[in-house]
Amino acid sequence: MDVDAAPKPTPADSTPEAEKPAPKSEPISPNVEIKQNLVLIDRAVTTLEPRFTHRVLRTLNHLRKKLNDEVLSKAVEECYARDSPAKAALFQYLHAPATMDVDIPNGDAKPQAAGTSDPLPEGDAYIRLLILLHLSGSKDTTEKAMALAHETVERIQALNRRTMDVIAAKVYVYLARLYEVTDRLAEIRPLLLAAQRTATLRRDPDSQATLINLLLRNYLHYNLYSQADKLVSKSTFPDSAGNPQWARYQYYLGRIHAVQLSYTQAHTELLQAIRRAPAAKTAPGFWQTVHKFFIVVELLMGDIPDRALFRQPVLRKPLEPYLQIVRAVRIGDLAHFQSALQTYTAQFQHDKSYTLILRLRHNVIKTGIRSISLAYSRISLRDICTKLSLDSEEDAEYIVGKAIRDGVVEGILDHQKGVMICSRKGDVYSTAEPGEVFGRRIDFCLDLHNESVKAMRFPLNAHRKDLASSEAVREREKNIAKGIAEGEIDDDDEMDF
Amino acid sequence: MAPPQLVANYERLKAAFGSPHADQKSIGQLLLQLKIALTEARLLIPGSNSSLEDLVITRDVLEMGAFWSVRNKDIPAFDRYFSQLQTFYLDFRSQLPPSPREYPLIGLNLIRLLTQNRIGDFHTTLETLPPNILGENPFIQHPVHLERWLMEGSYNKVWQEREAAPSEEYKFFVDSLMETIRREIASCEEKAYDSLPLSDAMNLLFFTKPSDLMIFAQERGWNVDPTTQAIHFARKAEETIEIPKEKIIINSLAYAKELEQIV
Repeated sequence: MDVDAAPKPTPADSTPEAEKPAPKSEPISPNVEIKQNLVLIDRAVTTLEPRFTHRVLRTLNHLRKKLNDEVLSKAVEECYARDSPAKAALFQYLHAPATMDVDIPNGDAKPQAAGTSDPLPEGDAYIRLLILLHLSGSKDTTEKAMALAHETVERIQALNRRTMDVIAAKVYVYLARLYEVTDRLAEIRPLLLAAQRTATLRRDPDSQATLINLLLRNYLHYNLYSQADKLVSKSTFPDSAGNPQWARYQYYLGRIHAVQLSYTQAHTELLQAIRRAPAAKTAPGFWQTVHKFFIVVELLMGDIPDRALFRQPVLRKPLEPYLQIVRAVRIGDLAHFQSALQTYTAQFQHDKSYTLILRLRHNVIKTGIRSISLAYSRISLRDICTKLSLDSEEDAEYIVGKAIRDGVVEGILDHQKGVMICSRKGDVYSTAEPGEVFGRRIDFCLDLHNESVKAMRFPLNAHRKDLASSEAVREREKNIAKGIAEGEIDDDDEMDF
Repeated sequence: MAPPQLVANYERLKAAFGSPHADQKSIGQLLLQLKIALTEARLLIPGSNSSLEDLVITRDVLEMGAFWSVRNKDIPAFDRYFSQLQTFYLDFRSQLPPSPREYPLIGLNLIRLLTQNRIGDFHTTLETLPPNILGENPFIQHPVHLERWLMEGSYNKVWQEREAAPSEEYKFFVDSLMETIRREIASCEEKAYDSLPLSDAMNLLFFTKPSDLMIFAQERGWNVDPTTQAIHFARKAEETIEIPKEKIIINSLAYAKELEQIV
């Protein structure tokens, strides 16, 4: 079966339910799309290739906008057998208007043929997912949505089919989302933990990854960083999970480590999250959130983030408060820092980065001292005190002493005269530092190269064509060699090639 | 429902705790008995079926135990009591009435983490507190400010704060913090000053008597010059710059290996 060459069924094949053909490519009606997706799911199950299920799920986002009760009732009606109990169970979740049931058997302009048999469990799960999506869209149907989600989860867990993993993972996501919206996240924690254990036992990478991410989100929502840390240390994130899950995981890890003061680690993880995340246009929310924490962690490490970062169109407005903080830290102005903090407190608390930003106060002072030491060769402690808006001269003395000890500045204090004498910093190229930095970059590029090579995918039977042609070439060469050996072709004839 | 013996003991403990001339030993005995009784009544590790008053009783007993252990300078016991209290504070938060001793205890734990230099745990605990408490509660404010000043290095503020501690138990921890601070200041001074007159050194290190200063200087190995009444800090000689042989070899071998792998 030439798996790759099969195109998606074109709109021209659709049943009369399709809308009037427009000059450009016509939009497929949602029912047709659902039918097509079910066909794809069937193919995925028979060929055991998860690619088709992924394709189906990719349409989920834009299909969601077109869903409503009518569409879903039609879909349920068509895809299930006439009197199946599953159909009845699903209909109770939809406001199936009574008129619909009367119209359909009569057969009006749009003939609706009921399906001959129940769809596969995967198809069933997919339809349930669609209904769940629709119900979770509005506030008053949340109870029904939760009941449906629980029922679906029980069914999926009872069935234990690997082909259903991808859809199961999505169902878990929406279940957790419903609880989050109703502010009852703590209740679902034991369920998620049990499901995660099951998924690990069954070696289900998609569900495992999704569930770990959901649990981390749960813990971080309640600020339980130590428990989140324990979860991370006790569980292994499956390597074969998709990029979006990896991006989320790295983001959560970055947040946990930032709180625990391991800033370098947090920085690498947030960078990974940014790289693996989809483009800024498709997922602006995630992009913004990760960048916010990225900036704060970079400030805490002592580097100033790049100005170009703030100019990106998606990021410009949400990062405005962070830009102020960055300015304050860069100049080393404590007063500016305090005022920016006051103005945007609510925003930072909403982003949960407030406590991290409070830690930046020390960085502001450090930068201030550093810039002073670069600018002056000798400065009195009183002047330092006024420049950094510190409280008193003794304060200034102690703080500068600590800065010297920590290696932030090079200099000497003179207590009697009350001055700080700054010395010039040595040449950095005489140390081993450039070599180390260079080495780190080389390692990173090599890792990237090796990972890309490992991740290359070749289509299944494409090499057969090459094989065939190489066979032909080998035949020819053999003939030539034979010809030479038998003396039929001598040297002059070889010039013809 | 807890057995009446338990309740009676609990009342006695409360009375003994409240009185100013409490005999620490007798309180210790009472606590021990109560803990055994609580375990028998399955209240020490609370399940979901315990009644509300029982939970309140257990929590109060544990809190008083925590305070008692601090007064007796028994830090491991404080640790145990505090970790047992965590379930009450976190999971049963919605069911139990808020306890007045909760925030002092959390503050005490924060200071203890500070003295042991477990700054990571310090910040993780801070995260779990709601932001309004962080800003207003004096018990929490105290360790937060201490940590901030320690980070910045304004040790004189820390020294002044020790008088302003919100409760008795804090003073114990702050005192042990003082030792750490003195060592910090000393190491700062070694790097930052060439020489320091003795009187100034006394002020900077918060010593009241010169003899204390001399003992301290002896411990740190400073060179005290009696003629000029000053301490001279030995300037460490510039270390010879070593070539990091191992690292260079490892790196070069790795590069060679990668180069060879290019097809």
